[in-house]
Amino acid sequence: MIFDVGYLILVTALLLAVFGVIAGFWGGRQRHPSLVDSSFHAVYAVAALVLLAASILWYGLLTDKFQVNYVWNHSEKALPTFYKFSALWGGQAGSLLFWTLILSVYSVIVATMFRRKQLGQMPFVNAVLLITSGFFLTLLVFAENPFKQSGFLPPDGQGLNPLLQNYWMVIHPVMLYTGYVGLAVPFAFAMGALFSKNLGNQWVRTVRRWTLIPWVFLGAGILMGSQWAYMELGWGGYWAWDPVENASFLPWLTATAFLHSIIIQERRGILKVWNVALIACTYFLVILGTFTTRSGIIESVHSFARSSVGIYFLVFLSISIITFLWLLFDRLPLLRSENEIDSVSSRESAFLVNNWLFTGLAFSTLWGTFFPMFSEILTGRRISVNAPWFNKVNGPLFLLLLLMMGVGPLLGWRRTSAEVMRKQFTWPVLGAVLFAGIFAYFSPRLYPTIGLSVCVLVIGTIIQEFVRGVIARRAVTNENPVAALFSLTRRNGQRYGGYIVHLAIVMIGVAVIGNTFYQSTTNVNLRKDQSVSLAGYTLTFTGLESEHTSNRTEFSAHVAVFGPKGQSLGTVSPGRNIYDKTPDQPTSEVGLRMSPGDDIYVVLNGWQDDGSSATFTIFINPLTVWMWIGGIVLVLGTLICIWPNPARKEERMPAQAGALADTAA
Amino acid sequence: MTDNLSLTGDIPTVGPDENQTVAPANRRVTIWRLIIIGLIIVFVGFLVVGLERTNKSDWRASGVAPDFTFTTFDGKTIHLADLKGKGVVLNFWASWCEPCRDEAKLLEQAWQREKGNNIVFLGLDYLDQEHAAQAYLKEFGITYASGPDIQSAAARQYGITGVPETFFIGPDGTVKGYLLKQLTSEAELTGYIDAIRPQ
Repeated sequence: MIFDVGYLILVTALLLAVFGVIAGFWGGRQRHPSLVDSSFHAVYAVAALVLLAASILWYGLLTDKFQVNYVWNHSEKALPTFYKFSALWGGQAGSLLFWTLILSVYSVIVATMFRRKQLGQMPFVNAVLLITSGFFLTLLVFAENPFKQSGFLPPDGQGLNPLLQNYWMVIHPVMLYTGYVGLAVPFAFAMGALFSKNLGNQWVRTVRRWTLIPWVFLGAGILMGSQWAYMELGWGGYWAWDPVENASFLPWLTATAFLHSIIIQERRGILKVWNVALIACTYFLVILGTFTTRSGIIESVHSFARSSVGIYFLVFLSISIITFLWLLFDRLPLLRSENEIDSVSSRESAFLVNNWLFTGLAFSTLWGTFFPMFSEILTGRRISVNAPWFNKVNGPLFLLLLLMMGVGPLLGWRRTSAEVMRKQFTWPVLGAVLFAGIFAYFSPRLYPTIGLSVCVLVIGTIIQEFVRGVIARRAVTNENPVAALFSLTRRNGQRYGGYIVHLAIVMIGVAVIGNTFYQSTTNVNLRKDQSVSLAGYTLTFTGLESEHTSNRTEFSAHVAVFGPKGQSLGTVSPGRNIYDKTPDQPTSEVGLRMSPGDDIYVVLNGWQDDGSSATFTIFINPLTVWMWIGGIVLVLGTLICIWPNPARKEERMPAQAGALADTAA
Repeated sequence: MTDNLSLTGDIPTVGPDENQTVAPANRRVTIWRLIIIGLIIVFVGFLVVGLERTNKSDWRASGVAPDFTFTTFDGKTIHLADLKGKGVVLNFWASWCEPCRDEAKLLEQAWQREKGNNIVFLGLDYLDQEHAAQAYLKEFGITYASGPDIQSAAARQYGITGVPETFFIGPDGTVKGYLLKQLTSEAELTGYIDAIRPQ
C-alpha cells in the first residue's frame, strides 16, 4: 500500500516539475512575479516529494519489505543495517531515485540562496534544474519504478552485490553522485544567463563557486573509487580506464578546464563562447556518462543490468544539445570578446594551452571509451581499447598539463618580460634540473625522471609563490611568517587555495609515476612458515584463520613482513570473504601496509583448508599512499578556494600583498 | 569538436572594419555550425545504432576474440594469440558451479575426440580456490589446459555474466560462436566445433 503511494508521489513530483518548468520559462520571459514565485515553489515541492519517495524506499529496505522487487533484489535479512541503508543506491532504480534526490537538494540550496538575487535569470535556472529532475522522474515513473511489487512475499532477499559491501563503496557513490549531479547547477546558471541575456560577468562569478563544489566532490569520489578498487579488487592497481571510470572522469576534465578558463573570462573578458560551451559539454558528458552506465551500451565491470532507459537518455541528450546550440547561436553577438590575447608568454595563453590539453584529454578518453562501439558498428568487429592505449595517449598529455601547472601561474597577465621570466623561473628550473641529475644517476629511466622532475618544478614554483607572497605580506603588515602565511592564504583563497590544489595534483602524479614505473609483483605458493623476498622485503606466511559473521565467512591469512635489515614491520592479513548468498562471488580483502615510501600489498588467492599452505599475489607499490594524501590535500585546497573571503574588496585591489607577487604587467 | 566552437565566437569579432569582415565571417560561422551539428548528429546516430545492437544482440564479446595469457594449474603458460591457426574452445568454469559439473564430462570427451584435429580446449577457472579447482579437475579427469583466470581478467574482457560460458574461436582469431549457458549435448558441441575447424 505505502509503496503504491510511493509511486504516486513520484508521479506527482513529475507533474509538479513540468509545471515548474513552464512557470519558470513563462514567468522569466514575461517577468511575471507570481509565476516566478511558482517556479521557486515547484523546486521546493519536487524536492520534498522526492525526499518522501526516497524515505519510503529506505523504509522498505530497512524493514525487509521483500514484496518490493527492488528490496528483494538488493537486500536480505542478514545484511547489516548500514548496507541496507546504502542499498538505496546499490541498484538501477534506487540509484536513479538517489540521483534525483541529490539534484533536488542542490536545487533547493540554489533556490534558497538566490531567492532574492539575480531574479532575472533565476526562473530559468529553476526551470533548467527542474527539467533535469523531470527527466529522471520520467525514468522512475515510466521505465524503472523502484516501488514495483511482485505480488507475493519472498521469504528473504537476494542480497546486495558483495563487492558493494565495503565502506568505501558506501561513500564513493554518494560523493561521486554529489559531484556528478551538482554539475547540473553551473549548467543551469549558464542556460539561465543565455535565456535571460544577462551575459555579463555576474553569472561567471556565481558559477565558479558552484562548479568548485561539485568538482571537488567528483574528484574526491573518483579518488575514493580508486581507493576502493585498490583495496577491494586486489589487482594492485587503482585505475583501469574502464568505461564507467571514464564516465566519471570526462566531466571532471571539462569542469577542470572550465574552472581555469573562467578565470580569464573574468579577468580579460575573452573566451566567453568557449566557457559556455565547456560547461554545457560538462553537463552533456554527465548525462552521457549516466547513459553509458545505465544502458549497457558499453561493456564494463560497473554496468548496471541492461534496461530500457537507454532510449530515454538519448532523446533527452539530443533535445538538450539542440536547445543549447540553438540558444548559443542565437546569443553569439552578446558573447563577443572584449580583448585579444596579447602575447604567447602571457598567463592567458598558458590557460589556453591548459584548456587545449584538458579538451584533448577529454576527447581522447571519449574516443577510447566509445571506440569499441564505433568499430563494431563500422566494421562488425569490436576492437577493444585497453588501458595501455589510454596510458600511451593520455600519459604525455598529463605530463604536459603538469608542466603547464608549473609554468602558467608564473606568467603575468597580457605578457611576461624576459627579466620577469628569469626572476620567476630560475630557482624552480634549477631545482628540477638538479633533481633530474641526481635521480637519473640512481634510476636511469627516461619517463620517470622527466615526470618526477616536472613534479619538482611545480613544487618549486608553488613554494616560491608562497615564499614571495609571505615576504611581500610581511613587508606590508610586519606579521610573523606563520601568521603571514595564514592570512595570505585566507585573503587570497582563490589563488593560494589553487596552489594547494596544484600541490595535491602533484602528489597524485608522484603516486601514479611510482606505481606505474616501479611496481614489483610476484605470485607465490607458500607453506606455513615459508618466506618469499620481494623488492628488499621478506614476507613469511604464518597461518590462516576463518570466522563466520552475519552474512559471510571471512578467511584471513597472516603474513609477517620484515624489512631489508631483517627488522620486523608487523603483519598484514589478506583475506577473502565468502558470502552465504553468493558464494560464487568471493571478495578479496587486501592485506596492506602503507608507508610514505611504498605499500606492501598482499592478495590471498587460495589456500589449503588445513591452513598448511596458501597462494598469494604480492605487490610492492612505491609512493602509492601519496595518491590518498593528495586527495585529502585536494579537498583542503578547494575548501580554501571556496571559503568566503573575509576581505572581498581588498582582493580586488591589485596592490594587495598577495598580488604583489603577481609580477607581470 | 568544442574546440572549434571558441573560434566561432572569438574570431569573427576581431576585425575592426565591420563591413569587410562580416560577410566571410558569417559564412565561416555557418560552416562551423554545420560541422558541429553534423558531428553531434553522427555521434548520437552511433549511440542509437549501438543501443539498438545492445538491446538486440547480446552484451558481450563479438568479432575478434580478446587476447589473454594464463598459467595452467600445472605451470604451463598459454597465450591465446599463439593459437592462431587452430580452433579454440574456451570454457569458463568454476568448481562451485553446478552446471559446470554437468558439462565437464562432455567437454573432456570432446577434447579426447578432437585433440588430433587442431582443436584446442582451454578451461579458465573463474573466482575459485585452487584446491577446490584441483579436486574438480581430478574428479572429472580433465586433461585439457586449465588454469585460474587471475583477477578475472579474461572474464572481464569476454564480459561473461556467470559460469559456465563457452566461446568458440576460429583459426583466424575471431569468435565464431558462444554459448552463455551449459552445454547440453554432444551434437550441440560438435556443431559449434565444426564452425571453428581449421580447413
